Amino acid sequence: MAVTIDYSKLRILPDPDTREWWEAARQHRYLVRQCKRCGHKWFPPNIPACDKCTAMEISWFETAGKGVIHSYVVVVQPIVGAFVSSVPYVVAIIELDDCKEADGTVTRVAGVLTNAEAEVAIGLPCTVLFEETNDPKIVMPRWRISGEADDTWKFSE
Amino acid sequence: MGALTDKYCIVGVGETPHLRPSNRTTLSMACEAVRNAMADAGLKPSDIDGMTSYQAADSTTSGHVATALGLRLNYCLDILGGGSSTEALVAHAIGLIEAGYAKTIVCFRSMNGRSGRRMGGQIPGGPIPAVNAEGDNQFNMGWGWTTPAQRFGMSAMRYLRDTGCTTKAFAEIAVAHRYHASLNPKAIHRSPITIDDHQRSRWVVKPFRLLDCCQETDVAAAIIVTSRERAYDLRHPPVFIMGGYARTMTESPQWNYSRPVLHYVAGNYGWKRAFGMAGITHRDVDFISCYDAFTFTTLIQLEANGFCRAGEAGEFVKGGRLQIDHELPSNLSGGHLSEGYTHGVQMVIENVRQLRHRADDACPDWREGKHSYDRSAGCRQLRKAKICCGMAWGWENMGSCLVLRGMAA
Ligand SMILES: [Zn+2]
Repeated sequence: MAVTIDYSKLRILPDPDTREWWEAARQHRYLVRQCKRCGHKWFPPNIPACDKCTAMEISWFETAGKGVIHSYVVVVQPIVGAFVSSVPYVVAIIELDDCKEADGTVTRVAGVLTNAEAEVAIGLPCTVLFEETNDPKIVMPRWRISGEADDTWKFSE
Repeated sequence: MGALTDKYCIVGVGETPHLRPSNRTTLSMACEAVRNAMADAGLKPSDIDGMTSYQAADSTTSGHVATALGLRLNYCLDILGGGSSTEALVAHAIGLIEAGYAKTIVCFRSMNGRSGRRMGGQIPGGPIPAVNAEGDNQFNMGWGWTTPAQRFGMSAMRYLRDTGCTTKAFAEIAVAHRYHASLNPKAIHRSPITIDDHQRSRWVVKPFRLLDCCQETDVAAAIIVTSRERAYDLRHPPVFIMGGYARTMTESPQWNYSRPVLHYVAGNYGWKRAFGMAGITHRDVDFISCYDAFTFTTLIQLEANGFCRAGEAGEFVKGGRLQIDHELPSNLSGGHLSEGYTHGVQMVIENVRQLRHRADDACPDWREGKHSYDRSAGCRQLRKAKICCGMAWGWENMGSCLVLRGMAA
């Protein structure tokens, strides 16, 4: 399902903490923040210090962009004008496969799925893809379901 | 009882009608709410020497209200805040009085929450023509994940998956709070609803239906805090502050998707402090209030604050347990779901009125505390209203609580 987001109605304004993240997305690379001192990773990327060890010496980690759906919502009533023609659409929180730390911490990210509601379930694997938008400065990472899993859970009405 | 218990009281409460739209300014509404609270307490403008408020860049300030009402303050402060701020301002007021900064403090919230800027960034009349996604909003608004319903929906979905709870439990909350609103002449929505009505209402963001979401309104509300010594001279029996917690945070103070359990919230970290300060157990609590921005948020506050075990709130609320005359009455004014949305202040106001035994219901002599307890005649005063626990929050990771007792307890 194509989610058509009108970025003339939604201006994303990168800032000094996030400019590199959006630039990487334009190059089809998905980054999360990483602490130079303890190696901890996190998202969203605008948080400028490590919430494990408090270091402000931070860098980026380029993920392979694969993960598992941890939770999701189906937006039925649009609020922001840019999404009016896209409802219903699914926003998910995804646990990244390559961001699991020794103490059990897993970096999770959020984003729109390209799949329709009927296909979505907690536990399904998904992969990032990058879509051009009508704002030439913004390439938006999206996620699509990329496989099956044994242990899945689906919201039933 | 702890060091705090019985030293400070809430002595005045007041609000404006819940409207949509108000066609008034937040300054005008705030002045009316503060004046109503002063009248309720029997206080003159010269008796008030402190004022605090919270807002989300959507309201007037203490200075403006004080000027308009002729108050001469020794202390005033306006903070940025949300659902967990009322209790924080009460805690703040206690500290200010204890330290001698002020003697009697008004805390208020005034918002055109329906006709002005709405939570999630939208303006009246539907979607915004154009909006900027900056700061934190780059990483939620950018992919259409903006509103509190969309945000809490994510926690709720995972909760349903982890616990086996269903949206029928959400419906129990909606039905209980609506029933209480039916006994409240001030409530926006007063027609009782059924579980089926809830289950048939339209989707807003799955897993939330329309009847899972609060009723945004234009309103102002105020409460007055002072010391026990002053409280005894005023119009109503004082309501004593026994304990609480304010804006207690989890391991991740702000937005963080990586919290180990998405629906594990601040109350887990706060309730033992609050109950310890108050010197009570859950069995001592006669009624509760919950920040019911959504039905789901009531469920999770019951668990977080120890009224039932994690994952068991769905069972706990079944059979009308939260309704008046049942085990644990909740949000007796109808709450955000049915009375209107004052960003949390109304729960404190209703709890104070219940503890005074002066709920402003349909009973003719409620001002004197004379109630019929006849629900069919519109009485919503609890018979046994001695101790209440009010729970609130902004986001999952910021919560607050206020344990109050009336004179009889
Ligand atoms: Zn670190």
